[in-house]
Amino acid sequence: MSFRKKLLLLFAVTVLLCVAVISASVYSTIRHSFEQADRDRADAVAAQFRSEFQRRGSEVERKVESVAASETVQRIALDVDRGASDSSAYVSAAHMLAAQQQLDFLELVDWRATILSSAQWQAKFGYPEAAIADAATPPTASPAGAFLKREELPDSATLGLFAVRIARVAEQPLYVIGGERLDQAFLSTLDIPTGTRVMLYQNLDPNWNPKSLLDLNGPAAGSEKIAPLVAKVRDTQKESQGVIHWSSDPADAEVFHAIPLTGPALGPSAQSANQPGGTQQLMGVLLVGSSRRPLIELQRQIISTAMLVGGIGILVAVLASVWFAARVTRPVVSLAEAARRVAAGDLGAKVEVESRDELGELAVSFNRMTDDLAQQKDRTLQAERVAAWRELARRLAHELKNPLFPLQVTVENLMRSKQKSPQMFEEVFAESTTTLLAEIDNLKTIVSRFSEFSKMPQPQRQPTQINDVVRSVLRVFQAQLQEQSQISVHSDLSEALPEVSVDPDLLHRALQNLVLNGIDAMPEGGVLTIRTARLGDRIDDRINARIEISVSDTGAGLTQEECSRLFTPYYTTKQHGTGLGLAIVQSVVSDHGGKISVESAKEKGTTFRIELPCETGHWQTGRT
Amino acid sequence: MRRIAYRFLAAINPARADQARAGTGTLARSCWAQLGSCPGSRQRLLRKSLLCAVLASAAFVPANAATRPRYGGTLRVMLQSAPNTLDLPARATPTDYEGTTYWDTAHVLSLIGDTLLTLDAQDRPQPALATAWRSDNSRRHWEFTLRRGVSFHDGSVASPAAVAQILAALHPTWNVHASADSVSIDSDAPLPSLLAELALPRNLLLKRNANHLPVGTGPFLAAEWRPGNLLKLAAYEDSWAGRPFVDALEIEFGKALRDQAIALELDKADIIEATPQATNTSISGSQRPSTSSSSSFSSSLPVELLALVFSSNSKAQDPRLRQALALAIDRKPIQSVLLKGAGETTAAILPNWMTGYSAVFSTQANPQHARALLAGAQLPALNLSYDPRDPQAQLIAERIALNAREVGITVQVSLSGAEDIRLVRIVLPSPDPTTSLAEAAAQLGLAQIGHTQQTPDDNSLDELYLAERGLLEGYAVIPLFHLPLETAVSTRVRDWQPDPMGGWSGPGFALADLWLADGRQASPAPDPRHEAGSQ
Repeated sequence: MSFRKKLLLLFAVTVLLCVAVISASVYSTIRHSFEQADRDRADAVAAQFRSEFQRRGSEVERKVESVAASETVQRIALDVDRGASDSSAYVSAAHMLAAQQQLDFLELVDWRATILSSAQWQAKFGYPEAAIADAATPPTASPAGAFLKREELPDSATLGLFAVRIARVAEQPLYVIGGERLDQAFLSTLDIPTGTRVMLYQNLDPNWNPKSLLDLNGPAAGSEKIAPLVAKVRDTQKESQGVIHWSSDPADAEVFHAIPLTGPALGPSAQSANQPGGTQQLMGVLLVGSSRRPLIELQRQIISTAMLVGGIGILVAVLASVWFAARVTRPVVSLAEAARRVAAGDLGAKVEVESRDELGELAVSFNRMTDDLAQQKDRTLQAERVAAWRELARRLAHELKNPLFPLQVTVENLMRSKQKSPQMFEEVFAESTTTLLAEIDNLKTIVSRFSEFSKMPQPQRQPTQINDVVRSVLRVFQAQLQEQSQISVHSDLSEALPEVSVDPDLLHRALQNLVLNGIDAMPEGGVLTIRTARLGDRIDDRINARIEISVSDTGAGLTQEECSRLFTPYYTTKQHGTGLGLAIVQSVVSDHGGKISVESAKEKGTTFRIELPCETGHWQTGRT
Repeated sequence: MRRIAYRFLAAINPARADQARAGTGTLARSCWAQLGSCPGSRQRLLRKSLLCAVLASAAFVPANAATRPRYGGTLRVMLQSAPNTLDLPARATPTDYEGTTYWDTAHVLSLIGDTLLTLDAQDRPQPALATAWRSDNSRRHWEFTLRRGVSFHDGSVASPAAVAQILAALHPTWNVHASADSVSIDSDAPLPSLLAELALPRNLLLKRNANHLPVGTGPFLAAEWRPGNLLKLAAYEDSWAGRPFVDALEIEFGKALRDQAIALELDKADIIEATPQATNTSISGSQRPSTSSSSSFSSSLPVELLALVFSSNSKAQDPRLRQALALAIDRKPIQSVLLKGAGETTAAILPNWMTGYSAVFSTQANPQHARALLAGAQLPALNLSYDPRDPQAQLIAERIALNAREVGITVQVSLSGAEDIRLVRIVLPSPDPTTSLAEAAAQLGLAQIGHTQQTPDDNSLDELYLAERGLLEGYAVIPLFHLPLETAVSTRVRDWQPDPMGGWSGPGFALADLWLADGRQASPAPDPRHEAGSQ
């Protein structure tokens, strides 16, 4: 990945991370704020409900008090106390009094807890009133405060806010139990904030009853989804909270706070209703719901804004990274190009110094480095040239010294024979002449070899199948190898090799040298292995594709130092070698744009690897 | 009655009649003295009847008795029902009897037309258009001698032929023949209750004029008819029973009971319907018209039956469930509180005053027995409906539902949906128990719910009891109360004689006999009834 791409990626990731972090932070803050606002609203509505509950309770108390003090009730109390048995005169009294006081419920109950008159269920006269009858001890004084009570009606039951007053104008008390419905009409008196709604579940049945869930319009729709929340409150009798999803759209969801409403379990007796620790039971559940739509819409807006900002940020990052990368990487690219030229051998490559910053210092250093490299190369070349001449001189001295010594001895024998044994001179002369000629031939041979090395021809490239060259080399040594039966040849040639543009004769000569070296390295016998293979990832990638030719022996192997000097001209490890064979091989390989390497391990053998590029440009061009 | 007595006295001794105009006591004494001169058993019968009537009249209206009857004025009557026709269906169904429309129409028509005879509260036939009657032993052949000189409102003579034609149209199964002065009725089956049948309003002898208004021989003739709204009747000058004291009678229909009470209070009505709440002391006074001096109340004998009737498609098909409901109902609190003590509790169709045996049918509530009957039974929720025009019905229905709930029966009081039980109020129209039982069975639709109309072939009390018991088997009907018909009358009305059967026209009690305090001085044209029927 280029530096420019990295820079672009870095910019984009940075922008995205910034946007994500900011969005998440804003999202979390808003969510927290909304939840807090929901709680505040629920608390406010609950407080308002309690306040309204208290106010309505006081109002109910006042109305019931007024009823209890009315002339009608006083007269009924007197009649009842006197033992009047005809209650037909009272049957509609409660209805009339309730209408006068605008009470939904009103019952007149005698001291035996028998209903004398009922406004809400006129037909219930003569039946016992549970609120009085179920009390442990009927109240002897009017209990303070209003309370919630389940009230049976002819066709149903409902929840009411009740108060009890005692009309005591005679010896026996007359209970006046009045109340108002706690239903949607009660809810409609609450000042509900926008986005909030209130529902009331009247806990009238042991099991969930959807008809008991009321909103401002009566029985609430979709009440089944509220049921689990109400059930939780019914189980724990504690406030609870839940999110109700009305549809697949999260914006339709509402957060509901469920607040339990309790009332006396056994009527309005002081023991149960008004004393701490009195038995209480769940009479209803107030549900305050807040729509999540504003939160969800704001969240959506934040997300869309974040995505927009992120997109714009990425675009800006791209542009900025392009500009910045161009500004930053131009000297780097120039530096890289110069480095490539240097690597290619152009030590004269220079980088233009455009700034005084780190990159400018880098460019100056690079230029200084190339200068140093060039000087070092010159010095190295001179040293190598001197070393080569020295090596050449040494080799020449060594090669020439061997034939010169017999020449000297032979000549000295001739001279000694002429002087000391003239009769033998002729015979000695003949022998010496033969020896002299032989050594002169030897010198000629040495000279021709050196001449041959100096006259290495340029490769004449043509499309060549490498395996064919390898096979021809093996055929040359076939007879020799058959004689030396202790050496076996193993060839592993890849059939997938393409034709390459090489000089088959030069390559043949190079491979011949390698095979010869391998044979020479195994005087005690061994295995000579020749492999060809294709290197590179793709078959059709001729630019990067290479062909490898390896020649391995199982001889004694070479040391590390020997390996490093192996391709130096005139260096040999053989007793009678010239040291030019591998130098020739390296020259051939180099002329074909390839490279040669050697791997060796003591007592395991040596492997020479030739890598040739699959260049076809020359011969392809030639073909066209 | 005073009109008849007065006219009777004036006809046979005008001098004593003039003396009697001073007051009722004088009238009674004059009548008694005059009757003393009449011979034989007929004299004794007349004497007893007239004496009872005069004494009853004196007992009921002592305050008004000192005032001489006045002619003129318009009597204003208000009714809750709103009939759209002045016809009584020939074959009424239980639906026709719902509400009070049928019987109000019958009452109105009884002012326009006459039956051959009437029955008094003691179930004794009294002459009307027929002055005498007789039958053979098989009760298949009957002969009725018609009153002479009677004419319809259109001027045509109420001849035997005309009467026979009307009767034949009313009863196609009868063979009705007219002779010179009588009408004979023949039937293949014995007709033991024919006299009671002929006294029913459906046997009023009425014709129809071109406007399809009823034309009869009664004291009033139809003058204006606005269906469902108003009926104006005018006094029939040539009525065989004498011209009514009032000149006209205006009957306004469709007036709610509360509106009637207000109208009575404001002197815009003279006779209205009333409820027990109105006739008894009410502490609330919300529905009670003023009773200071502007009105008085009267009640008939308990001739109405309030009962629960199970519909044919009721979910309560199990007789045990019906019996349990009957046992669950505590009638006494309802009667004492909701009905203000009016009427009487009952478990029989016919009232005790009619049969004397209704106590055999127990009215005692027995919730324990009811629960035992319901043990293990599937109990459907029952829908109880009632007549919304009946101001007492809803409360009574709710009380019944409450009683039912006590034994585990769910009864919902509702006016909508398919009804399983209906709280009905029917009228027992005849003092004849056999006829009333048959009428009650028809009104309750017992024949429609699998009961055959079991009426006794004769007047045997045992047969009557068995027939009634048969009708009540299976608890298709649960009788609850026998109630009187209540009427409130303004003090402008004088000589108001409440009909023991709640009607408007009958022997000794007719709207035609009352007069208004603001009418003109009476100048009667004597035309009293002076013939009595005999079998």
